[in-house]
Amino acid sequence: MIQLSYLDYLAVEGKSWLHHLSPKLKIIGMVLVLLGIVTLRGLPGLFLLYAILLTLFFVSRIPLRIFPLTLYPLVFAFLFIFISGFQILFILLIFLKVLCGSTGVVLLLATTPYPSIFRVLGRVLPSLFVTALFLTYRSIFILLNVLEETQHALYLRGGFQWRHPWRSLNNISNAFGHLIIKGIDASERMYESMVLRGFKDKIHYRGE
Amino acid sequence: MSHIHLPDGVLPIWLWVSGFVVAILVGAILLRFIKKEDLTRRLPLLGMMAAAMVLGASVEIVPIAYHVNLTVISGILLGPSLIFLATFVVNMILALFGHGGITVIGLNTLVLSIEGILGFSLFRLFWRLLKRLTPAVFFATFLALLVSTFAMIGVVSLGTSHYEELIHQEGKGLFEFHFSKEKEDHHGDVAEKKVNLNRFIAILLSLGFIGWMMEGVITTLIVRYIHRLRPDLLRLERQV
Repeated sequence: MIQLSYLDYLAVEGKSWLHHLSPKLKIIGMVLVLLGIVTLRGLPGLFLLYAILLTLFFVSRIPLRIFPLTLYPLVFAFLFIFISGFQILFILLIFLKVLCGSTGVVLLLATTPYPSIFRVLGRVLPSLFVTALFLTYRSIFILLNVLEETQHALYLRGGFQWRHPWRSLNNISNAFGHLIIKGIDASERMYESMVLRGFKDKIHYRGE
Repeated sequence: MSHIHLPDGVLPIWLWVSGFVVAILVGAILLRFIKKEDLTRRLPLLGMMAAAMVLGASVEIVPIAYHVNLTVISGILLGPSLIFLATFVVNMILALFGHGGITVIGLNTLVLSIEGILGFSLFRLFWRLLKRLTPAVFFATFLALLVSTFAMIGVVSLGTSHYEELIHQEGKGLFEFHFSKEKEDHHGDVAEKKVNLNRFIAILLSLGFIGWMMEGVITTLIVRYIHRLRPDLLRLERQV
């Protein structure tokens, strides 16, 4: 989640042809990737899709330090090893589906600024939902800032140590509580400034 | 733990499409219960709690593969209508980061909102009965997590036949593939290639129990902290 601001930076500052491609086309592309993931049931097809996505990833000149983000969902796919009773082909199939999805999403987020994504979504989804989505996305950055300050306080109080579970749980809970209260205060301030700027149910994006 | 971490293309299409349809219907019904001005005024709070849920979900407690959902605390602060919208948003953002598939958003919203709505209702009930914050929050969180985990197991088991189909699908599909395997071997393997859902449930429930206890304690301590500093947020005085 910490990489979120870096992804945003890449999406805005990137200069590749994929960055210049219309957000609408990129979202349609993502829908096609999803369609491929849902319908393809053979390894060669999924390998081909993954190879195309990897090529796009490197052609778009997205820095390699972002690449591990595409591997992160594999953590959750590991439970299929147990479900399948260690069937290697099935596990490979699932892992490829996971990698195709995550690479597609990272490609979209690293080449498209989020207001552009929300603008396109606003045309197909209810405005209330898109506004909630936008405010949540904005709030993540506010909370990450508060979290950075809270982390120092957390470390000073001992942080998280398995040797002292009760103290650690107390520390974590206080940190989350502090985060939530600070976040709520910030959200109230954000709402007041939004109302002062004419907010009524819907956020209007530049160019609308 | 109750969040479905299945990637796209694993659950049968009828299941995730139904998830979206039911989630949209439930969302439309629940949002009718809230006044428009109240909704607009509380949208930033919704955004902030949804962001806290996203951050909570991104902190993995590695040894037990568990992450806190913070759905119950969000449910307590937001109420049943807004927690539904918040879980929809949270699942959408989490899906964008590979935390569960995009096609699973509808089902995940249903499962997580069961947790949030049940957490809210149980907290109110226990508070009315016990008049003590700590047990009210802990039991509400524990029970809500227990029920939502079983809801998640129910969803996963509904797709069992589809997983088995995926395991047995060599030579089928849009692009065929054949590995050097004899036909008779394939028949011999059928029994072994059954989906082992019991093993999955056993692992999930044993790890989940530790997680529910942990999240119960964390949620209780957070609510106590909020109660000390901003009791108005819990809106308890109306019930006393």
